[in-house]
Amino acid sequence: MSGFHEAAGCVSRRALMAAAVSAVAVTALGAPSAQGQEGLGTPEQPVEVRMIANEAFANQWQTLMVPEFNKAYPNIKVTIDGVPYVELLAKSMLDATGPSPTYDIIIADDPWVPQLAEVGALMDLKGAEAAAWTDAGYDWDDFNAAPLAAGEWKGVQYGVPLRSNMLMMFVNKALYEKAGVPLPTPDLTWEQYLEQAPKLVQDTDGDGKVDAWAVDTYFVREPLTPTIWQTIMNSNGGQLLDADGKPAFANEIGAAALETHRKLLEYAPTGAVSHGFSESLQAFRQGLVATMFNWGSVYKGSAIDEKTTTLKPDQVGIQVLPAGSVGPGAHRGIWNGTVSAKSENRQAAWTVIQWLSSKEGEAWHSANLGVFPARKSTLAARPPVEWLGPVFAALQQAYDAAEKGRMWRIRHPRSDAAQQILADEHSRFMAGQISAAEALKVAAEKIEKVLD
Amino acid sequence: MSTVTATGVRAARARAWTKLADVASRWAFMGPAAVILGAMLAYPIFYTIEISFSRFDLMTFGAVEWIGFENYAHVLDDYRFWSSMKVTLVYLVFALPLQIVLGFGIAFLINADWRGRGTVRALFIIPMVVAPVVAGGIWRMILDPLWGIMNWAIGLAGFGPLDWFGDPNLAMAAIVIIDTWRWTPFVVLIATAALLSLPRDIFEAAEIDGAGWWSMLWSITLPLLVPIIAATFVVRWLGAVKMFDIALAATYGGPGGATNVINLFIYEEAFRSLRFAESAAMAVIVLVLTMVLTGLFLLGTRKLEQRY
Amino acid sequence: MTAAALHAPLRRRSRLGRKIRIAAGVFACIVFLFPVFWMVLSSFKEQRDIFTVPPTLVFTPTLETYVSYMQRADISRRLINTVIVATGSGLLSIVAGAMAGYALARIRLRGAGTIGVLILLSRGVPPIALAVPMFLVARSLGVTDMHITLILAYCTFLIPYVMWLMRGFFLALPKELEESAMIDGCSRFGAFFKIIVPISMPGLLSTMIFSMILAWEELLFALVLTNRYASTIPVAIAGIAGDTVNGANWGALTAVGTITVIPVVVFALLVQKWLIQGLADGATKG
Repeated sequence: MSGFHEAAGCVSRRALMAAAVSAVAVTALGAPSAQGQEGLGTPEQPVEVRMIANEAFANQWQTLMVPEFNKAYPNIKVTIDGVPYVELLAKSMLDATGPSPTYDIIIADDPWVPQLAEVGALMDLKGAEAAAWTDAGYDWDDFNAAPLAAGEWKGVQYGVPLRSNMLMMFVNKALYEKAGVPLPTPDLTWEQYLEQAPKLVQDTDGDGKVDAWAVDTYFVREPLTPTIWQTIMNSNGGQLLDADGKPAFANEIGAAALETHRKLLEYAPTGAVSHGFSESLQAFRQGLVATMFNWGSVYKGSAIDEKTTTLKPDQVGIQVLPAGSVGPGAHRGIWNGTVSAKSENRQAAWTVIQWLSSKEGEAWHSANLGVFPARKSTLAARPPVEWLGPVFAALQQAYDAAEKGRMWRIRHPRSDAAQQILADEHSRFMAGQISAAEALKVAAEKIEKVLD
Repeated sequence: MSTVTATGVRAARARAWTKLADVASRWAFMGPAAVILGAMLAYPIFYTIEISFSRFDLMTFGAVEWIGFENYAHVLDDYRFWSSMKVTLVYLVFALPLQIVLGFGIAFLINADWRGRGTVRALFIIPMVVAPVVAGGIWRMILDPLWGIMNWAIGLAGFGPLDWFGDPNLAMAAIVIIDTWRWTPFVVLIATAALLSLPRDIFEAAEIDGAGWWSMLWSITLPLLVPIIAATFVVRWLGAVKMFDIALAATYGGPGGATNVINLFIYEEAFRSLRFAESAAMAVIVLVLTMVLTGLFLLGTRKLEQRY
Repeated sequence: MTAAALHAPLRRRSRLGRKIRIAAGVFACIVFLFPVFWMVLSSFKEQRDIFTVPPTLVFTPTLETYVSYMQRADISRRLINTVIVATGSGLLSIVAGAMAGYALARIRLRGAGTIGVLILLSRGVPPIALAVPMFLVARSLGVTDMHITLILAYCTFLIPYVMWLMRGFFLALPKELEESAMIDGCSRFGAFFKIIVPISMPGLLSTMIFSMILAWEELLFALVLTNRYASTIPVAIAGIAGDTVNGANWGALTAVGTITVIPVVVFALLVQKWLIQGLADGATKG
């Protein structure tokens, strides 16, 4: 009995020695290449990468994107957890600030990167460590400036654009023809648009009741509604914050933009004041409104997919929002892929999002999942399906406009609190409880305190 | 002086032991509940109170420095907090009595002795089971000025379309309707059980004495039901104060904050604006108010219980 | 005039009254169930048929929403998780809560009343405030994303309700019930389980149904405390409703809504049978 123990003890000690020796040997000998191989996993020891993303596309990625990724990198196992949008930021923050975060990749919405960066949760994707793992042909300059800027904070690039989205104007050409109004072009101004609007409120089936309206968009009390107001303001040269980071929207341009947003209600369907993303979408898809200001990603479900829309592809037009005194309007909404700074599998994690945002990956992504690309090369190339043609063209216009007018939400670690304040005051104005000037003044005061 | 015998001592010890066992068995009933709740809630409540008095650091998700009542001052200074409290009060005043009265009334109706009684009772539970988000969504569809069946039906009756979500008063009415739709079945459920447990002999005796159903209701049924009505009211009141998902799904708290009940506001401050310290301060304020009001209710119901 | 003759008009009136009662009850049931009917109807419509003006009752039904969505959001696993968590917390809360409610109602115990009130008042804390610290504790213990964590978390709000409701039921029972049993030599626990529980079955079962329903639809704790392995159906529903990419998929929402309703309805229908059975027994025992 004791002999056995001794032998076992001997064996294990010897095994330990052997392990130690080989460990030293391995680290001393093949350091960079061996590390590189381990970082990407081996068939016997695959690397597991966990990602937290929006529930809306988590499953699509898990079932379609990951297998495609695994064709190029078979030893990286990717598990994606989907979280509803509203809780995604809080859950990401809760996880990232823990001692050992669960997630290696965080998919962050446009305004969240500063918050995550400030708590030290994100890895620098252009830094020395990541550069060693970046493919030679990746080409950072190929990205359009506006989407790439969404992942940048204080000069450091923390994220890459994975799903690019812009606010756009959707057009129901049939309703325009019926009203005898010329179809909109990218040069259309807000004044012209508002002049045409009354004519687009029409009775299409001749029963004496109005059943088609000019517009539907975000009006309801929610954080994304102020983006419409902001787009109008930006297109007229207004800005949310000035160079010092102080609120700069409490002026005539901002007030006029608010009035314009509310004026749209006059030409919107009954009850539009409580309409948001989903309702305006349904109104457009049922052919009830001539124009809709909404996110470009809904194009497929509004023009192509028979099961969700009553409109036909040739009935639907897409372009930038009407132009103000400075240029056309747009608004950026980019989903960024970021890598957790505390992750143990940083190389594998960066490989995943690097692949997805590379030229080949992006082309695959947009061809197969209909996701909007951010690279100039992808947008300039022939679209993978025909209906993406006008979408790509409109997208490029939107990117250019957004970059010129800095058309995006506040970038600051406390941006969400600021956005909620904007939503509250904007909603009070839309409900007619306060004047435009008052709403902007209260919002500016509160936001200044919050951003401090 | 009595002599202490051996048997006397043993008997005394035996009595003491049974007394201990008796106290232990009494406390054992309270035991599991107290242990589970104590273990699970002690730290969270302590944490909430702590961060409400401190500056909150997102990097560690913890309190950093003690700043006393500063968070509370911010909260009390914010017009949105007061507006939210007012909205919650209006909602409670309308929704609670409606649900209790309607619930007990319907329970009484469906309690009539007939074949389909069990099925109707079981079917009545369904609105409670529909997820709040789905309930809010369906009612949005039903009440929508453009697509809703409600306005279409009203139109058939000759009235104009009602802007359920654009008008602040109608939006509040919508919230009350949806909440009542969801929770009256709960009251019905409890009330049915209560009615079923009522001893039949009293009713039979009263019937033989020639009492009509109204007087039976007033002088027999209601007094017997007082403990249950009070308990249901307290449970419903505590649940109603916490309501936020219906408001979120149906009206988003709008228009302009007209249906922004306090828990929705706390949720927004915590999860959207990531202002956990202010949110904790509000939670503590709401807790204190709820405790005070619940205490008053309990005192009142105890008086009622003693009377009957 | 015989007593029978005196009572005859009373009986006729009460029979008509009874018919009116039943009719009114059924009418109320129909009114309350209409939105659910609408939900089930919509779940069989194509997306584009759900938002027509005016609302359509005649359409080509499709099962595709059910088929496609069931796979997409991992619904089957989430359904199982929800059943596990709801049953677990329902049972645990009914046992602990009923015992505590009994302690409050029938046992003279110094301090128990205070504890009971404190437990009830714990319901005054907004759950949002509790979710984050609970997550922090769970994370430091390494128990996030587990069923047992969720079950215990749910008990924190179920037990107070159960306790308070059962206290109300127990107070209505005649005072001498368990005393006579205990005089006969039964222990307190024995008296509780053998006498009190059977008699208060209607209340007990109804409260358990309520408790399980609350656990079934709880969203906030499930969102914060689980990631994928213990994720529940309400999380999936929140994901569909808050879909900021494709727009709320109303077909999927109503489909999942319908799916979540069915198990509980079946459960309630079964329980109703036992309820009536238990009452029949109780009635014969007098």
